[in-house]
Amino acid sequence: MHVSPLSWIALTCAVVAAVIMVYYLIARPPLNARVKMLMMVGVGVLPIMTAMIGNVEGLQATEHQEFCGSCHTMDMHIADANDPDSGSLAAIHSRTIKFGDKSCYVCHKDYGMFGYAMTKFGGMGHVYKFLSEYAWYDMEEALPKIHIARPFKNDNCMQCHSTTGTIWNGVADHNGLLGDLRTGETSCVSAGCHGYAHPFSKPDEETPSDAEVHSALQAPRPAGT
Amino acid sequence: MAWACVLGLIALVLMSWSLFDQGWIPVMMAMSVGQGIGTLSFALFLVIVIIDLRKAEFRPSLPPKSNKSEDD
Repeated sequence: MHVSPLSWIALTCAVVAAVIMVYYLIARPPLNARVKMLMMVGVGVLPIMTAMIGNVEGLQATEHQEFCGSCHTMDMHIADANDPDSGSLAAIHSRTIKFGDKSCYVCHKDYGMFGYAMTKFGGMGHVYKFLSEYAWYDMEEALPKIHIARPFKNDNCMQCHSTTGTIWNGVADHNGLLGDLRTGETSCVSAGCHGYAHPFSKPDEETPSDAEVHSALQAPRPAGT
Repeated sequence: MAWACVLGLIALVLMSWSLFDQGWIPVMMAMSVGQGIGTLSFALFLVIVIIDLRKAEFRPSLPPKSNKSEDD
């Protein structure tokens, strides 16, 4: 559990507001101008500050693995992503600083002007599906039924892998499929390429072996090195 | 006003819970139910204050000018 300094400010506001409200409930003072001003602070100003800071903290919390993993159906996804011995795309990316504790969000968020809001709307859909269906399944029942809501966009991969580097283009499959990869016709995380990000959740026949993945990644050294 | 305080306290508990436990239930409860109840509490307070102000007698700080001095 991590409590930020901002959270402490919100908590202080909440405690002071609660003290004012409890004082009113116990003492029941006459509602004169002074009491009205006090209640304006206790019922209005301080709770609004708590809510505003809570919004900031809450939205930041939704970017962390702790939030995504708080649904039991994500237990295996989180465990694999944090497994230092796992070779899955999710685990490899989670081991880098840019992803780290926010690896779910960084890979799955929508990019663009409205990306943040659209990601949150998508998250609400996940909550609905969890509450209406998956909450009642145990992990074994849920795993074969859980699917990504829509195909994973190559745009998300291309936020880092720009598809313009010499080494990247030196891979024959990359070079041959460059147009398809940029338009999303061929998925980076399809079975024939880098495989699924969470391979344990797919049937074995759909997941390429490590040897297949590494042979596809043999890149020639850039000229001059 | 007592109801505004009771609802306000419930809202504060819900909103404060998410500051310590950042799972999906507390975070979503704080940002939906908690803030909804908090808004209702504040709205109740405002309604009470407005009703109270409408009932209040107008008591200007300065006494009205009397016609007595004009007559003199």
